[in-house]
Amino acid sequence: MDSQCVSILPRVCGVLLVSGSSLPDDTSLEKLLDWFTTIAQTGTSLLEACPCLVDFVSKVAFDYTSGSSILSFTLKLTGLIGASEDGFKVLKECSVLKLVFNPQHWQEAGLWEDPCLRIGWIQGLKMILKHSEALSFFAQADLIEPLLQLQTDSSLFVASAANQTLAQVLVLCQSPSSVGHNGSKNRDLEHNSLSMESTQNYSGIITKVSDYLNKSVVLKEISQLPGSQQILRLLAMLLVRVGPPLRDTLLLAVINSLEELVSTSCSQLTVPLLDVILAANSGLRDDCVPKQRLIRLLWVMLNMKKPVDVMQAAAAVLRSHQSDPALSAHSARVLLLPLDIVTGVSLLDENSTEEELRILITEQLKRKSCISMICLCLSNIPQITLMASDCLPCPQRLIVTAILLLLRLCCVDSSSSSAGCVEVVRFITGNSKVQKCALEALLVLSKSPGVKMVLVEVFKVLTEYLNSHSSDPSVLQKSYQAVIKWVGVCPDLSCITDQLREGFIQAVRKRACDTRWEARDSTVEFLGHLVGAPSCWAFTEQEMEPSDVLLGGRSFTVPLLKEALQDPESYVRASSISALAQTLTPSWQDGTALTQEQEDIVTQLQEVLFQDSEGFARRAAVKYFIAWFSACSSPSSCWLLMQSVPTVLSQGVADLDWEVKLHTLELAELVLDRAFSDPSPSHPYAVMSDQDHRLPIAGQQSDLLSSLKNLVDWGVVSALLCGVVDCDRPVALKACQLLLKLRGIVCPVMDNTADTRVFCQLAGASMMQQVRKIQEMGKDTCVVSEACSEADKEGICASVDPECVSVCEVLRVLDLDEKLSILTQSSDHIYNSPLSLLQDILTAAAASSPPGQDPRQELVMDCY
Amino acid sequence: MKLYCLSGHPTLPCNVLKFKSTTIMLDCGLDTTSVLNFLPLPLVHSPRLSKLPGWVSKDGSLNLEKELKECAGRVFVDSQPEFCLPERELLDLSTIDVILISNYHCMMALPYITEHTGFTGTVYATEPTLQIGRLLMEELVNFMERVPKAQSATCWKNKEIQRMLPGPLKDAVDVWTWKRCYSMQEVNSALSKVQLVGYSQKVELFGAVQVSPLSSGYSLGSSNWVIQSHHEKVSYVSGSSLLTTHPQPMDQSSLKNSDVLILTGLTQMPTANPDGMLGEFCSNLAMTIRAGGNVLVPCYSSGVIYDLLECLYQFIESANLGTTPFYFISPVANSSLEFSQIFAEWLCHNKQTKVYLPEPPFPHAELIQTNKLKHYPSIHGDFSSEFRQPCVVFTGHPSLRFGDVVHFMELWGKSSLNTVIFTEPDFSYLDALAPYQPLAMKCVYCPIDTRLNFHQVSKLLKEVQPLHVVCPEQYTQPPLTQSHRSDLMLELQPPPMPYRRCSVLNLPFRRRYERVYILPELANSLVPSEVKPGVSVATVSAVLQSKDNKHTLQSVPKAPPVAPSKKRKRVMEEPPVTMAPKPLLSGAVPLEAFLATLQKHGITEVKVEETADGHILHLQAEDTLIQLEEDGTHIVCDNNEPLRATLRDLVLRFLQKL
Repeated sequence: MDSQCVSILPRVCGVLLVSGSSLPDDTSLEKLLDWFTTIAQTGTSLLEACPCLVDFVSKVAFDYTSGSSILSFTLKLTGLIGASEDGFKVLKECSVLKLVFNPQHWQEAGLWEDPCLRIGWIQGLKMILKHSEALSFFAQADLIEPLLQLQTDSSLFVASAANQTLAQVLVLCQSPSSVGHNGSKNRDLEHNSLSMESTQNYSGIITKVSDYLNKSVVLKEISQLPGSQQILRLLAMLLVRVGPPLRDTLLLAVINSLEELVSTSCSQLTVPLLDVILAANSGLRDDCVPKQRLIRLLWVMLNMKKPVDVMQAAAAVLRSHQSDPALSAHSARVLLLPLDIVTGVSLLDENSTEEELRILITEQLKRKSCISMICLCLSNIPQITLMASDCLPCPQRLIVTAILLLLRLCCVDSSSSSAGCVEVVRFITGNSKVQKCALEALLVLSKSPGVKMVLVEVFKVLTEYLNSHSSDPSVLQKSYQAVIKWVGVCPDLSCITDQLREGFIQAVRKRACDTRWEARDSTVEFLGHLVGAPSCWAFTEQEMEPSDVLLGGRSFTVPLLKEALQDPESYVRASSISALAQTLTPSWQDGTALTQEQEDIVTQLQEVLFQDSEGFARRAAVKYFIAWFSACSSPSSCWLLMQSVPTVLSQGVADLDWEVKLHTLELAELVLDRAFSDPSPSHPYAVMSDQDHRLPIAGQQSDLLSSLKNLVDWGVVSALLCGVVDCDRPVALKACQLLLKLRGIVCPVMDNTADTRVFCQLAGASMMQQVRKIQEMGKDTCVVSEACSEADKEGICASVDPECVSVCEVLRVLDLDEKLSILTQSSDHIYNSPLSLLQDILTAAAASSPPGQDPRQELVMDCY
Repeated sequence: MKLYCLSGHPTLPCNVLKFKSTTIMLDCGLDTTSVLNFLPLPLVHSPRLSKLPGWVSKDGSLNLEKELKECAGRVFVDSQPEFCLPERELLDLSTIDVILISNYHCMMALPYITEHTGFTGTVYATEPTLQIGRLLMEELVNFMERVPKAQSATCWKNKEIQRMLPGPLKDAVDVWTWKRCYSMQEVNSALSKVQLVGYSQKVELFGAVQVSPLSSGYSLGSSNWVIQSHHEKVSYVSGSSLLTTHPQPMDQSSLKNSDVLILTGLTQMPTANPDGMLGEFCSNLAMTIRAGGNVLVPCYSSGVIYDLLECLYQFIESANLGTTPFYFISPVANSSLEFSQIFAEWLCHNKQTKVYLPEPPFPHAELIQTNKLKHYPSIHGDFSSEFRQPCVVFTGHPSLRFGDVVHFMELWGKSSLNTVIFTEPDFSYLDALAPYQPLAMKCVYCPIDTRLNFHQVSKLLKEVQPLHVVCPEQYTQPPLTQSHRSDLMLELQPPPMPYRRCSVLNLPFRRRYERVYILPELANSLVPSEVKPGVSVATVSAVLQSKDNKHTLQSVPKAPPVAPSKKRKRVMEEPPVTMAPKPLLSGAVPLEAFLATLQKHGITEVKVEETADGHILHLQAEDTLIQLEEDGTHIVCDNNEPLRATLRDLVLRFLQKL
């Protein structure tokens, strides 16, 4: 820990004791506590590091005139100190502990009403409960009673913290044999240290908790609903956190009450009740008695009166993946019922037990609330598809058919009608929420077995949606995703007829001209994504890209995407650039000869990089070149790419947008990596030699030299030097890392004579200044002039250019390691340091009470 | 009160309301869908159309080669197109007092009603309605007169022959009443009967009713009408819109508290959202132009076109269509574009404020200024020299049977690069295209109908709460093609009264009150007495004078002393003015107090029996019954007049006299 901090801390404590209200801001105390927590976490004893804290704590505890925030802070700090056994002992010895954690003490002082203090009390208690000593203190002081009272505190923050603390108490109370089950928190709970007496005390705690839960779970009046919900949440949490024997005890204690609660069938409690039952159920063996009772409870909930409750219960059962197959199968049937009723596709066979529910749900579907019910049904279809096929109420293909019919019913243009519930159509027609849920379900179902035969139907419906004037952009996006998913899983697209294809192409073409930019954006994205979909077999039995089969390939997509480069919306421009990169990637990988079209695109992209007013498009443009460079097997042999790289690098690194700069540096990194990994960097047609890596130093030097020269020529070195002095930290950091990489490769091999043969231009005034400054500091004598005069001799650099420097020299001269260490620290590290925090507190205190002067007046003077 | 329904078309209504002593015609829409049965009138000689084969029945028994032509499997009448007029036999059109016009689309039958029928009334309309209506009529006449057809086909109309014809011709109704287009002279004469009105202006009709137009938000100057007397209110809602397009927003609140609301002119495209359609229009247009094709938009020369141009104004820059020429071709194109800019007071708030800047309210002015939009009266003349492709052409008529659009269909129909985009909802686009088949050009149907949809109208009706709603029968059931859409109909409680062509409805409410004025001197003589707090009553004797549907109570003239006559008959004829009316009684007889009073008067043996309406007192000793009821008291007392009189006086003590 900083010695300066240690020396200031006593003064800070003094300030806090005297004037808690004059803190620099509300978060100071939290920050202080965080700092203490960090110290404690590093393993050092907090008391050893800051001995003054005990004194501070006891002073505050005995003299409770401090403000509530200071009191709350002190309670938490006490907990933090007491979390270690040494600290606990010290606190106990000076009898602070009993006083601080005695609610009576605070009640008498009239401070307990303040939620701020209560939260401090609970959090302090929670922090301290890390070891057996603390637990026995907790038991002896009988703190369980006040803790239980706070479980349903009027302040939600207090109640929630109390819930957490109670869980921690119970975890600690578990017999050591089960400790291993529940993590390491109580590892320090020494088995031997548990005396008989304390064990009894702990069982007392458990009994009290059980009694409390049992009593509170039952809902006596409707006005107690929020309290009941809170208790159920607590119970669910406890059941998840505590280990088996204790969990069983708790469960047995409350199960009667739970049964009673289920029988009240109160809708608001359905979800929390389910959470409790499923939490309890998850860890139980199948044959134990409580498990049977829980399963029975779930059955009761699946047969409640209100359809929405039943569906929620069914959804929860499916989500929990619980093991009872009959229960899961029934839940799936319940969830599919709305789909069955709405579409009239008989997904479920006749089952008399569901008749009543069917009638109830049908009634519900005639009201506007049918939307949420149908969405609940659709959003759980992924869970249904995960079920074993023998538990499924119907083949998945049938579910797809029903969803397709539902989608048709939802489409405004469609005149489809169903054999199902007619009244529902008015609510779902044109409802984009239902449409999205159904498309989402359709996406998931693409993986189902045996659904490939409905591909044509799926394709028709999706085309209908893409064509529909009333489709919301988000629905269009989902439809596109579904097309890609379905096309991706169907290796055979021969079933898509020319007519279907034509319709699809028209729809895509139209959406590319949509008035809503979101729709245009989704379309452009789709064109790019389709290229990534797996290959398929088309009519000619040849392997073909889905994009070729559906859209006729690049001759269709590239012109559309080129149009989109002119879009007024920058998102669309950016998406079209990415899509172009995706579309052209295969040809780059194959090394296909460049077309005029591609050359035009490069020109357009350079224009974007130079002129586009929005960062998104410029970022995408740089990424396009990154994609090209990475996909290209031999970039150096692609003249257009290598011609573009210097322009992109020089323009990109000077951009105003830091992300553009960062992407530019990523491109530079790719070029750099390629330059040194390529065994023939000098020119593309050089004969490769197996002996390269075993060349003597002189050979290595010459290779490196030529690679370095290439890097300079391509503008990589200038970009890095420009980036390293950038005002955006991530950019400077990246550039610095790359320069270090370059130094690591170049400098060990180069000797002083060789390095002066490679020069680079220093772009930008700031880089110039920086290098000059270093020169003036005398670290090296006149890099530039020497380099250039040397160069003159060598005939490489014709004129003496003051901006021209030797690369190796610069790499050596710049203190890159120091720069890296500065850049890796976050930009606010100085302002966020503990020292700064402590000083702020002192300054604020001093400012609030300067002798004989009104601080406000000074402030006003300051302002004007 | 009666409603005579002369048109079955829900958006081109023509109804006659008989209310009090007035006969009011509400709109006179012209159903032009009949023209779809006719061959197009080409502006330039069309070899294709002239070579169409004549129609002969399969067995050869019927030969109408001259009148009917076959094209792509359908039969068309080769004659000047004719329109289906409002019913003219249901009532005598000369009895109509006034015609109220709600918008320029609903007045196209006006010359058929006002001319040659003996009509002597007045037509009321707003200024934009009159001016733009005149333009549309002028355009229609121009379209027809430009391409005169010598022959007029009538044989096919023969009932026996029509029965044997194929396709839609066979099912066409009342073909004998179809009429050719009116002349410009008739238009001028009809429009000379129009009297201009402003929104919310009150017009008295014969002192019986007051009519007043309200903004309906559908088109420039479009209005709904309120027809009210002192105690009754009938609202007539025709084409109305709640969308924020160019016209002034709809005035909804003035429709409140109507006894009857006649609802017509809802959207013809309940499932097509106008915004979505506008988006479709733009994307299809851009798609075609980018591919190097031309776009043809068959449309009316006023109305939605203003919105289309405004939408395109924003869209062309963003879609890189800046260099594409837009042409608007109509005999009235110039007037229509200019008129729209001068009716500032009839425009929505946004556009009104522009006028004060001063800027033209519609951006098409800028399109014209920058030469992006050019307008021509017809394809002949300047247009042919300046015409550049690919381009976008807006022209009429949307039925594709006459007007410059026929030429462009012939010109561009053969190329699949071109697109025709239908934006007017009045015609089925498939029927419109029938005589042009086979057609290579792409067809897109983007009907833009901004009128109220069912959702909006049910919200509106909930708001204004009329007692009864009358509407075309089409609104009381879902559309035939979407019979499962129960939301595409009016669901009201009580259910709306449906009408169809030729219906005569007795409107379901009775007039119960009439306003009567009292002259001041008569009012002065009244002596009101308070019957309960806040309510005073007085009796009045007066003479009722009715004149011009106004009723006034005047003092009774003092009859000059009449010389006694010998004839008894004359004495009887004397006005009963001198007879003082019996005082009116009010109040209730309190039982307990009454019993006490009876006892005071020595009547002690009273048996009280409770009945549904009050009490029966049985005075046992006197053998008399007193029935005390809410609205009457009866004393049943046989042969004891003094007792009856006593009892009567006792009862009267508890009652107030007026």
